[in-house]
Amino acid sequence: MSTVALPARGASLRTLASTDHKRIALAAGALAFVFFLAGGMLALVMRTQLAADGGVVSQNTYNQLFTMHGSTMVYLFVVPVALAAGLYFVPLQVGAPAVAGSRAALAGLWLLALGGASMWSGFLTSGGAASASWWGFDPLSDSLHSPGSGMELWIFGVMMVTLGQILWAGCVLATALRHRAPGMTLMRMPVFTWSMVATCLLTIFAFPALILALALLWAQRHFGGVLTGGLGAVDYQQLFWFYGHPVVYVMFFPFVGMVGEILATFSGRRFFGHSAFVLALLAFAGLSMTVWAHHMFSMGQATNKYFSLTSTALIVPAGIEYFDFIATIWRGALRFTTAFLFALGFLVQFLIGGLTGVIVASPPLDYGLNMSYFIVAHFHYTIFAGSAFGLFGGIYYWFPKLTGVLLRERLGKLHFALMVIGTNLTFFPMFILGAEGMTRRIARYPAATGWQGLNELETVGSYVIALAVLVFLVNVAVSLRRRRPAGPDPWQGHTLEWAASSPPPHHNFDSLPPIRSHSPLLDVREASEGAPA
Amino acid sequence: MPSTTHAYTHVERVYFPIAIGVFAVIVGVLFVLLVLGARRARPGKRSEALKLESAYAIALAGVGAFLLWTTFRAEAPIDRTVAAPGLRIHVVAAQWSWRLEYPDGVTIDAVSSWQPPAAAVPTGTEVEFSGTSADVIHGFWVPQLHFQRQLLPGYTTSFDLIFEHGGMYGGTCSVFCGDQHSQMHFRLQALAPASFRQWLAARSAAQAAAATRLAGSARGPTASAVSERTVEPPGARAA
Repeated sequence: MSTVALPARGASLRTLASTDHKRIALAAGALAFVFFLAGGMLALVMRTQLAADGGVVSQNTYNQLFTMHGSTMVYLFVVPVALAAGLYFVPLQVGAPAVAGSRAALAGLWLLALGGASMWSGFLTSGGAASASWWGFDPLSDSLHSPGSGMELWIFGVMMVTLGQILWAGCVLATALRHRAPGMTLMRMPVFTWSMVATCLLTIFAFPALILALALLWAQRHFGGVLTGGLGAVDYQQLFWFYGHPVVYVMFFPFVGMVGEILATFSGRRFFGHSAFVLALLAFAGLSMTVWAHHMFSMGQATNKYFSLTSTALIVPAGIEYFDFIATIWRGALRFTTAFLFALGFLVQFLIGGLTGVIVASPPLDYGLNMSYFIVAHFHYTIFAGSAFGLFGGIYYWFPKLTGVLLRERLGKLHFALMVIGTNLTFFPMFILGAEGMTRRIARYPAATGWQGLNELETVGSYVIALAVLVFLVNVAVSLRRRRPAGPDPWQGHTLEWAASSPPPHHNFDSLPPIRSHSPLLDVREASEGAPA
Repeated sequence: MPSTTHAYTHVERVYFPIAIGVFAVIVGVLFVLLVLGARRARPGKRSEALKLESAYAIALAGVGAFLLWTTFRAEAPIDRTVAAPGLRIHVVAAQWSWRLEYPDGVTIDAVSSWQPPAAAVPTGTEVEFSGTSADVIHGFWVPQLHFQRQLLPGYTTSFDLIFEHGGMYGGTCSVFCGDQHSQMHFRLQALAPASFRQWLAARSAAQAAAATRLAGSARGPTASAVSERTVEPPGARAA
């Protein structure tokens, strides 16, 4: 009913109050991308600082920069954009006319906006923004060591966005489980939808632990006696990492799913090993709930052997996923579109992040490498060189569906080339510096350390990444202005979203093809190819 | 007497070549497939190979088991502390300083500096460090020994380090701990046992002399005169 009245009120109200999952997801994705640009600017200031021999900002400002960079990228960019992709495409991929609990989904958008504003408004307070890192570890984050309202605004902001993310996960999960079209059995759900099921399960089980940890931290700051002594600090970390490791997979699975769809589509063949992949994803999600204290090896407060065992066991589901990716390309008739290139970039670069993850899952190696730039390199290879490449692949793949127009391929390939160069220049030297003992979160390293040269190289790399993102923004602007209509299915897609018009109508589908596998559109195409002329 | 350095290099020599090998194989296979796939007109149809994938999963589990066996064997000795170490040093970390306390009262304070005074340790024997923090979490990290342990307020944690070779070992705080985290360094000078004993005796004498001088100047407490070098950084400079 409300949707009938809305068009008269103008576009902004439609975006702020619409319960159409596509509008909510587009607004959330766009907002998350704005946060990506903002968090990226903070990174550029830090890289400039480290190249300019510490002459740009003070250590205190630098602490705010890396705290807000990490917080922005995790809480306000990668997690929201991953869930927003699910919010947009899961209903489409399962043939549903709407998302379940659409008002809760809308509340998630509002919570992201308000929470993000709260976290960033710390920069306007006299003490500056939060500066106790994106972990907010107690006791550094308590009222004695981190006084001021920046930290308070951070706590409330992170709680708000996390609550919104749990709401989104509930909506997306309920849609996949309860709102599928006739014929869409669970095992016929596409890999992206399955990756979102795993993501949402993790979000629902793990994210409340963060809200609890932050509530305890808030109580500690105001009343004390909650997180006391050294073991209070351990308690906070147990709760934080119970969230903090699953969130790593929330920032990974959706992009695994996107890459799977992209590889299958541009290989012109059915995704290989769909059922094994689904099993691997669920095993991956279950295991990833059991590995959190590998972030605490060097505390000596967790059973390191157990957490080393579960962390190392992740190579089995991860190996299955890589097997299926490669087997999909095997015997494929490949089309080297920009989306396909980004998916390949994800495969190769995430592998570096994953393999170094196996290395730091070994406590004797972690004792030597933890808290160093080796770790910084490791997780940037997973989240940036991996997930962000998967995301850009997803954007080039789905942009026609979202907007009805294609992105420019030549600009896209320039974007890709610059991203590959910039990413590896920025993050690979960090492995070397970390192994040499370069500690994180320091605004200035003396010349005697001999690290300046590689730091300058990394800074050059970060500017190349910035240039790449600029090329992407130009591509979006050019493509939206001088429109090249995409039609409903520009790539010969396999999954149901390509059966809808571009962009899809409010109710998503006028008609659905028969659903007999996880690739219904490919079935239709193969049937018509196989039919006698 | 397996040291942290041995454990690290032993595990490193297993893990890193495997990681590099896996990377090379996957990228190599991918490259061949991309070259072949670029020229193929009709894609293949097969899309399931459950038996092959099951066998592959078992092989992966085997690799994982081998890695864990390597890790567990190397980790066991470095997580233990021996009953009779060659020396015990108590470490107190604070915002932003290190205090290393030797059994006979000798203390070395390293306060907010990239060039802190060196604390001597004997080579070739276990040195037991027991550490705690006066305020927030700090990390006692000696990169050359490939070892770190977090020090928590109100809790003491112990670990053994072995210095196989003489020389200077830089140490730093690995856990971000506030504004001058970057300045939190210490240095350990590993000396042959005989030289170490000389160092400790000289240090002890110098400290006693300083205490006597202070007592002689008759302007205050004598017993804790050593606290001349005790710096009280928490709180005051935190704001």
